[in-house]
Amino acid sequence: MNLRKIGAITRKEFYHLIRDYRSLYLAFAIPLILILLFGYALSLDVENVQTVIVDYDGTRQSRDLVRRLDASPYFQVVAYLKNSGEAADWLDHGWTTLALVIPPDWTRNIQADREAPLQVLIDGSDPNFANISAGYITAFLERENTRYLHNFLNRQGMEQMKPPLEGRIRIWFNEDLESRNFIVPGIIAVIIMIVGAMLTSLVIAREYENGTMETIRSLPISAGEFIIGKAIPYFFITLADVLIAVLMGQVLFGIVMKANFWLMITASSLYLAVAITLGLLISSATKSQLVANQISPLVTFLPSMLLSDFVFPVLNMPPVIQTITYIVPAKYFIDILKGIYMKNLDITYLWPNFAVLFVMAAILAVLNVIVLKREGM
Amino acid sequence: MQSTNNDAIQVQDLEKRFGKFVAVNKVTFSVRKGEIFGFLGSNGSGKSTTIRMLCGILTPTSGQGTVAGYDIFRQPEEIKQSIGYMSQKFSLYEDLSPFENIRFYLGIYNVSPTLWAERISWVLDMTQLGDVRDRLTRELPQGWRQRLALGCALLHKPDILFLDEPTSGVDPLTRQHFWDFIRQLASQGITIFVTTHYMDEARHCERIVMINQGSIVAAGSPDEIISQACPDTQNADLNDAFITLMKN
Repeated sequence: MNLRKIGAITRKEFYHLIRDYRSLYLAFAIPLILILLFGYALSLDVENVQTVIVDYDGTRQSRDLVRRLDASPYFQVVAYLKNSGEAADWLDHGWTTLALVIPPDWTRNIQADREAPLQVLIDGSDPNFANISAGYITAFLERENTRYLHNFLNRQGMEQMKPPLEGRIRIWFNEDLESRNFIVPGIIAVIIMIVGAMLTSLVIAREYENGTMETIRSLPISAGEFIIGKAIPYFFITLADVLIAVLMGQVLFGIVMKANFWLMITASSLYLAVAITLGLLISSATKSQLVANQISPLVTFLPSMLLSDFVFPVLNMPPVIQTITYIVPAKYFIDILKGIYMKNLDITYLWPNFAVLFVMAAILAVLNVIVLKREGM
Repeated sequence: MQSTNNDAIQVQDLEKRFGKFVAVNKVTFSVRKGEIFGFLGSNGSGKSTTIRMLCGILTPTSGQGTVAGYDIFRQPEEIKQSIGYMSQKFSLYEDLSPFENIRFYLGIYNVSPTLWAERISWVLDMTQLGDVRDRLTRELPQGWRQRLALGCALLHKPDILFLDEPTSGVDPLTRQHFWDFIRQLASQGITIFVTTHYMDEARHCERIVMINQGSIVAAGSPDEIISQACPDTQNADLNDAFITLMKN
């Protein structure tokens, strides 16, 4: 390893970057757009479930029920409809997610201590959302039931009784259960993959396409020096992206890192090394910018989104796919980020993930050197 | 394996196979120090493969050889450090200025920074590119780019200069200047190994080897080759010799 040779490659690569400012735009526009898009738009929180009411009963009691439903933060009554047909129409159009139908004689049934069913219709076209809405309405009706039970017991002359079981729930790490608190760290992982790997996936292919690879081959520079020299400018650009993402998370969304900043930078650097060596490997293996451009989203962006435990829980996937997720670098990095952002974990907990990322970067670098050596470097 | 004799390049039974295809079939030749040596052959004759083996880019299948005193099997990096190589495509970085290209080569050739200022002005002077040193290389005419590529290949003062079809696509006047400059370099003791398609250019060479289908078909001075290849033709030139030899 000769620092002067590495420096020459780095300097040259830096000139390419500033001369071809389209890739620089890409490097800085992607994190901005993704953070804004995901931070504001991709909320997995379910609040204010749009609800319509069909009240055939029309008593004070049924109106009280609806009032209490509307007062809860989870539901928002958007319309009172005349009949179930209209409610079905609203669901068909997607104007509402949930319809609550209170049948005639509902109050009278309660007063007569008979069963008093309510009809709840939920739009299941978004299963996740429907599930959560169903959970909310079940919990709501459970509370109502308890209240009626108490009233009933009181009427029977029994004293006020308390149910013996009560879960005292305390949420750790993400107390407000804000999905944004883990979406932003997750998006940092995606940004690094996109910028780090997609930009670098072009740089060796470009040498092949411009015929300068032949020059490089004829020069006294080793494959290792070549790769390190090429990686350095992209390393710092992507690291700048990480800082932008962290800063935006803090300023726009108030997401504050709980653990050490430098631990986060170290983790990002390791993950960056994986992204860049992966990009360079794609580049030296495909030798074509066009092909590299088509392959790199497939092996970088998509796995980081889908198989990393970021949006979709790995535990719910079939075993084969779960096995595949073990080779997705983003999985380990997102695990670290969750630990750093939400759990305030230190290196004693996180080191296995650090080690995996380090090994991945090392393997990719060695593969890179092998591929380039086979091409006569 | 530091050689002690007067040969800059020496190869014996050098062979390169790609699978079953024999690209270079056991060629043997040597190039003397300070000589202008022409290596001629039609496209696909094994010419490029040979030059790539000599430059340490491609590892030969069998045979033996030394370039600038270094073994072509075991010391490709040392060979790369002591030769200059300029290929037909003038593969410079076109989005860099001549000055930036020169600095790139100085770094890669590991030239000590104390020598940089001197070498930069030497090359800019020699290539007459001082006035355009900060323009982008892609904006320069082809002949100028060719001079720059040549200058870059000389920055580390190599013992041997390999020129792979250096003048294709260049006008006759520029070619004339180019060859004047090459002869000047040779007089300073630099060995020149050149491939070309232009037979009038091959005339500038002191000795020539012609290769066809991976094997050497003629070797010697231009005049010797003409008389060997076309003994019966009056006023035969290298062109005639080339065509005769490549037909077989």
